[in-house]
Amino acid sequence: MRALEVFALLFGAKIAFNPEFTVEKSQRFYLLSPRLKKLQGNFYYAGLYLGKVKNGVFFPSFNLLNMLLPVAVNKVVVDRKAAWLFICGRDIFGSGIVKVMGSKRKGDATLVINEFSECLGFGRVTSDLGGDLERVAVKNVLDVGDFLRREK
Amino acid sequence: MSTKQFFLDRYGRLGWNYREIRLKQSIRINQLNAGKNLPERLRGLGVELEKIPFLAAGHWVNKTKVSVGATAEYLLGMYSVQEAAAQIPASLFTALGGKMVLDACAAPGGKTVQLADLMGNSGAITALDISKQRLNAMANHLERCHVSNAVVYNVDARQAGMLNRKFDRILLDVPCSGNFAGDRDWFYRRTIDDIERNADVQKAILKEATGCLLEGGEIVYSTCSLEPEEDELNMDWAVKNLGLKIQKVDCVGADGLTEVFGRKLDASMAFCRRIWPGETQGFFVCKLKKGGEQ
Repeated sequence: MRALEVFALLFGAKIAFNPEFTVEKSQRFYLLSPRLKKLQGNFYYAGLYLGKVKNGVFFPSFNLLNMLLPVAVNKVVVDRKAAWLFICGRDIFGSGIVKVMGSKRKGDATLVINEFSECLGFGRVTSDLGGDLERVAVKNVLDVGDFLRREK
Repeated sequence: MSTKQFFLDRYGRLGWNYREIRLKQSIRINQLNAGKNLPERLRGLGVELEKIPFLAAGHWVNKTKVSVGATAEYLLGMYSVQEAAAQIPASLFTALGGKMVLDACAAPGGKTVQLADLMGNSGAITALDISKQRLNAMANHLERCHVSNAVVYNVDARQAGMLNRKFDRILLDVPCSGNFAGDRDWFYRRTIDDIERNADVQKAILKEATGCLLEGGEIVYSTCSLEPEEDELNMDWAVKNLGLKIQKVDCVGADGLTEVFGRKLDASMAFCRRIWPGETQGFFVCKLKKGGEQ
């Protein structure tokens, strides 16, 4: 559970998971309802998948990013073109950012949000936000286009 | 006689004349994730939708400028690309909310996601599949659509009883021989032996599932096979050997066959729905109940 909470803190979000209903299996974390908790057994996948640890690094699920959305401090809202490019795995230029919330500091993690307030993934601030519009401002770490790339 | 002619003759004897068909692409809107303005958003991307009259959340994709399987809306789980006839089985259950549901042959998870949507992520879905590789795709599908009420096992449906669970509703979208509508080479790859082998597996799944079904519970059985051995003949066997009763359903398609190649079947086979290929692929669906009235 610690890995989940540490990850949330990267976005300035404090989030606590009930250890009774958060289970780890094969270094993957799942949030279960009381009903699923009773069933469990030797499952392959269960409840809401939250993320996995691989080689000591935590990889969040999109469910977790969505849970962080209302509580995260660090977010950038991007325009339609930047949103599409981000989903295609590209980084975000300063010119594509409509609004910055929370940290503008280089190296900090930030959720990437589209015009409909939907979370498209997250990235790392590469140069202080609010600066040069023609430079990469947020480096893509994970975006929802990953669902397509995973299948290949 | 060629294999193709063999099967076409069979379809003719069952009352359907073969014709070339062109399947229409369709999507199913995930009500839990999509806002009311989804069709409008998709129109903005150049996707023209048309409501499918016989489905609650299904839409034909009449025209599109983008791949509907690669939009942001798709990746955010607002809809699934799902063949129209394949959207029928899950929609036939009565009152799914809060129920214990078994999806016995679940991967790649299209119908599991649909069940979760119909259940409002309440209750619990136990989803099984024999193929671990296919479960990977299923896990991605469940994550994309934010399903939270499913627990998935790498278990053969013929061994569902080992979980020691009883279910209110069971979906048996069983492995089948398929049909030519979605597979150009179907006539060249299939033999009657395949069909009989599949029918045996399907009977074994039906028997195991019936043992896991609560009294008064419902099974929806479906295949995308046009072959009566996998459809009405299996249902006739289930009625006569497993004590299941076929239920009338309000659903598109023709009545099930009550006579197959000179063999008379239980009259309740007429309540099954047989969908010959056309706008949709070929499909067969039947709702059964354990105990109680027909």
